[in-house]
Parts: sequence; C-alpha cells; structure tokens
Amino acid sequence: MSLPAIAEKDFQDTVRSRGMLVLVALFSLLVAVFAYVFAPPGQQFATEFLLSAAVGPFLVTTLVPLVGVVVGYNAVSGERESGSLKLLLSLPHSRADVVFGKVVGRGAALSLAVFSGFLLPALVLLALSQLGYIQAFNVGSYLGYTVFAAVLGVVFVAIAVGCSAAATTQRQALIGGVAIYVLFVMLWGAVTGQFLGAAADAGLIDPLPVSRQQISVFLQVANPITGVELLSNAFLGDQLFSGEAVNQQISAVSMLVFWTIAPPLAGLWKFDADDL
Amino acid sequence: MTAIELRGVTKEFADVTAVRGLDLAVEEGEVYGFLGPNGAGKSTTIDMVLDLVRPTEGTVRVLGRDATADGVAIRKRTGVLPDGFAVYDRLSGRQHVEFAVRSKEADDDPDALLDRVGLLNDADRKAGGYSKGMRQRLALAMALADDPDLLILDEPSSGLDPAGAKEMREIVRTEADRGATVFFSSHILEQVEAVCDRVGILREGELVAEDSVEGLREAVGGEETLEIAIAGGDADGASDSAVEAVRDLDGVSRVDRDGDTLVVSCADGAKTRVIGALEDGGITVDDFHTREASLEDLFLAYTEGDAPGEGGEDVDGGNAAEGTDTADTADTADTADAVDDEEVSR
Repeated sequence: MSLPAIAEKDFQDTVRSRGMLVLVALFSLLVAVFAYVFAPPGQQFATEFLLSAAVGPFLVTTLVPLVGVVVGYNAVSGERESGSLKLLLSLPHSRADVVFGKVVGRGAALSLAVFSGFLLPALVLLALSQLGYIQAFNVGSYLGYTVFAAVLGVVFVAIAVGCSAAATTQRQALIGGVAIYVLFVMLWGAVTGQFLGAAADAGLIDPLPVSRQQISVFLQVANPITGVELLSNAFLGDQLFSGEAVNQQISAVSMLVFWTIAPPLAGLWKFDADDL
Repeated sequence: MTAIELRGVTKEFADVTAVRGLDLAVEEGEVYGFLGPNGAGKSTTIDMVLDLVRPTEGTVRVLGRDATADGVAIRKRTGVLPDGFAVYDRLSGRQHVEFAVRSKEADDDPDALLDRVGLLNDADRKAGGYSKGMRQRLALAMALADDPDLLILDEPSSGLDPAGAKEMREIVRTEADRGATVFFSSHILEQVEAVCDRVGILREGELVAEDSVEGLREAVGGEETLEIAIAGGDADGASDSAVEAVRDLDGVSRVDRDGDTLVVSCADGAKTRVIGALEDGGITVDDFHTREASLEDLFLAYTEGDAPGEGGEDVDGGNAAEGTDTADTADTADTADAVDDEEVSR
C-alpha cells in the first residue's frame, strides 16, 4: 500500500508551489473584504449572515471549485507530460495508488490553503470582537463553515484528478478542467433541465415511482456546489441532519461522496489501460 | 532463475511497430548490455519490462513474475534509472531519495545513498536546479535504494561527464559483485564494453546479435589497427620496398600509406614484426599507436546493415567521430594507454 507515500510527496510538492501562497493570500483578502463590507464598525455583526449571504455565494461557490480544478487538473497529466511519472512508476506504486494518492495529497494541500485563508481573517475578526468593535464573532460557525468550503474544494480536486488521469496530454486535461468548471458552476441547471425535459418527453419519467419535481430537486442537489450550500446553510441554521430537509441533506452527502470517488475511478480505468 | 524473459514480444503503436518477435533472456547475476541506435526499440522494450507499456503480443516475465499482473511486486525488488524522466522541481534531492526509500518500504539511510552517487553536498537543494548529470545521479540513488535484485538502467550515462560515466560503471560493477542482475541499455559502446558480461544488439525492433564481449570481438576478426608515423626524409623507393615487405608478413591483412603515415591492419601478435620489418627496410619509425578493433565496428556493421567483419578497417576513425564526446574521450584514453604499453614492451 504505497498510497500514503504518494499522497505525502504530492502534498509536499503542492504546498511548495507559489500558487498555494497566492491562494492563501487571495482567500484571506477576499474574506477580509467581505467582512469589512458586511460589518461596518459599530453595527450589528452576524457571523452566519456574513458566511451564508456573502462569503458563500460570492467566494466559496465560485472560487473554491475553480481552485480545486486548478490544483487537480494537471495532477497526473502534468507528470505524464514532464516525465516525472516515469520516476514515480519506476518505484513500486500501482497506477491506482498514483491516482488516489494524488486525490488525497492535493485535496489535503487545498484544504490547508482554505483553512489558512479563512484563518487569518478569523483571527482579525476574533480580535475585533474581543476589543468590542464588533459584536459576537461566532468562532464555531466560522470554523464549521470552513470545513464545508474545504470539502467542496476536495470534491473538485477529485473530479479534476480523474479528468487528468484520463487525459493523454496536458492540453486535454486543461480542456477537461475548464469543461468541469463551466458545467458545475454555470450550466448545471440548464443541462439537467434539458436532460429532464428530454427524459419526460420520451416518457421515461412517468413509470418511475417518483415525481418529476423530486427528480429535479435531486439533480439540483447532485451538483456538489448546491449540495455543500445546502449542508452549510443547514449547519449555520442549526438544522444539520434535522428538520424537514433531512432527506435532501442525505442525498447531498451521498452525492458528495459519489463525486469524490467516481471520477478518479473512471479516470483510473482509462489511465490503467494506457501506454505511458 | 531468469531475471528478465521476453518471449515472442511484439509491440505495435498506432503508426509504428517498435519491437517485433523479440526473444530475450537475461540470467540472474549477469550484467547485460542492451545496445542499439536511437529508435531501435530499446526504450519500448524496457518500458514493457517496467509495465509502462503493454506488449501487443508475447509474454514478459521479470524475476519470475508476469510484468503486467505483478508489476508492483517486481518493482519492489527492482531499481530503475529511467530514460527521459523528470524530477520534482520543488522537492530537494534528499526528499526524492526519502520518497524512494519509503516507497520500497526499505530502511536505507538517504544520505548514504546520496553519498554513493556523489550528491550529498547538494542534498538540500531543490532538484529543479540540478544539472542533467545530477538528475541522473539522483535517479540512480533512488534506484539503489533497498539493494535491488535487478537494476535496470536506461541510457545511464547520458548527461554524465567522463568521470561521472566512470563512477556509474563502478557502481554497476559493485552492484553486480553484490549479486544483482544489471540490465543496461546504451547507444554508446564503450559504456557497455567496460562492464557487461553479455551484449545484445537491437536493430529496428529485432535482436540481431547476442554474445559475450569477447565473442563479439572475435566476430570482428580480432584484428588491430596500427598507425605508424614514418620519417619523411627516406627515398621513396626504399620505403616502398619496406611497405611491400610489411604487406608480405604473416598476419598482416592490409597496408595503406597516406604520406608519412602507414595504416596497418594485422593480427594481435604481428605488431612487433611489422615495426621490425620497417626498421630492417631502412625506415625510421617516429611514432606509432595501436587501436584495438572496437565493438563500435561490429555495432555499426550490425546496425547499418553490413555483415560483421567485412567493414573492419573501413569503419574506423570517421565513424568513431560520430559517437558522443564521452565516447571520444574514452577512445583517446584507450589509445594513449596502448601506446604506453607498447613503449614499455620495447
């Protein structure tokens, strides 16, 4: 089992990249800007409102998937093109170890970036609340929300690594990465709507024991971005795994697990059969 | 047990057949030199041994296991210096070796491995700043981790200066003495000649010759080429008759005169008689040196399509110059040694 060795090496390699520093700085800066804009000194400050109304929609759901794709898209194809994959596979690693080691290593690196990026503004907010400039900075909500942001990042790393493993060249991997981002961030509703409409027209929905409405909701939640939004908002509203929407939450969790495992497996299926 | 065994292996890529019907057996404990010009299929063959590429037909067995099914188990006992690899630019030399040791679940001291390949002083530098030769040494250090049973070195001397190439050969020798099998590919003969027990020559995906170094040398004819500088002051008549006398000597197959230089192809034992005959004919020998028929001659004969032996004398100087700088340097050193030997024996 050499997956941990690859994960650790890839983590070390990734956190040393200059991009990681830029990432941490960017997160910190943007969170700080949002905190400033939404919490003018002396007014009521609500951590939950900051996160679910500002940081969530504007930062997490657009920037975190982008960063996940950027961190993951060259994981395997980049090594394949440069030749370091030859060095890696001359050691006793299976190709499955390589793909999943990359998911773990880069997922961990991205999580570190997200945590560091959220932590610096958190320290400032905490200090401000201690000094009485803002009221009641909720540390628990803030840290919990950071976990959801990191989870979303890891899911996109996994999707992008799967795409990278399937790609023969860096160029293909890049195109795949852009396609992933566009699909999940911009076109998901339109694409699934078309899909559902076509399925309904073809009479595929009626025989099923679920309504079109239910399938539509499921497809929305199947997008990891919507899934994480749903879960994080429930968390901030103290409704996580309780209340009316618990079924949706369970769907969201299972789809997040699916997106973390299935794309790397699909990529591995192609990668494992390739001549390198 | 056979360390590497290929049976009827063919590899077709979309546009080219890189290897066709290759049978190859490398016995345990031997140093096997795998030769061929660039593009002959050496790297494809090695990639199949390492399971980077899967054969279209035939079977590849390494250390008694199937290359594709048991790749991880094979590579656990194998050290590989790949060709055309890249390092992880942001990781230090030591981190690379630590990763190799950890991957093989070994307990080697990374610094000891780095010291063996002469990289210890640069161990903390990022490998992205290493020269080609240093990267080559780094990959060798990674390959040597866990005392592998089989060492596969693909063009190990590329990027190394002559001193580095010599160190590489010494490491190969040490590993072989320890009992490891070494499979060594190269397009430079001197590298292979110095360390290999057996040599196989690959041409256009097929094995065209396989023998010991001595066996291959005999196939070239076991002749030596003698270059003699004669004094220019002699009357042409006198020197012509002396040249004729040399030509008539037993063991001399060919004499060419180019101004003040005689090029004589002769059997190993005839050298002294050639010099003697010239001096008896009144010619002053200013200087001479010998060149042993090199494997290069045979290599070129096989890889360029001539039958072995025929091309002997013709395939000298000019073609040798086509080798790399490393090869040339080694060649010059050999010639200088030969001259020294002759002077001592006189």
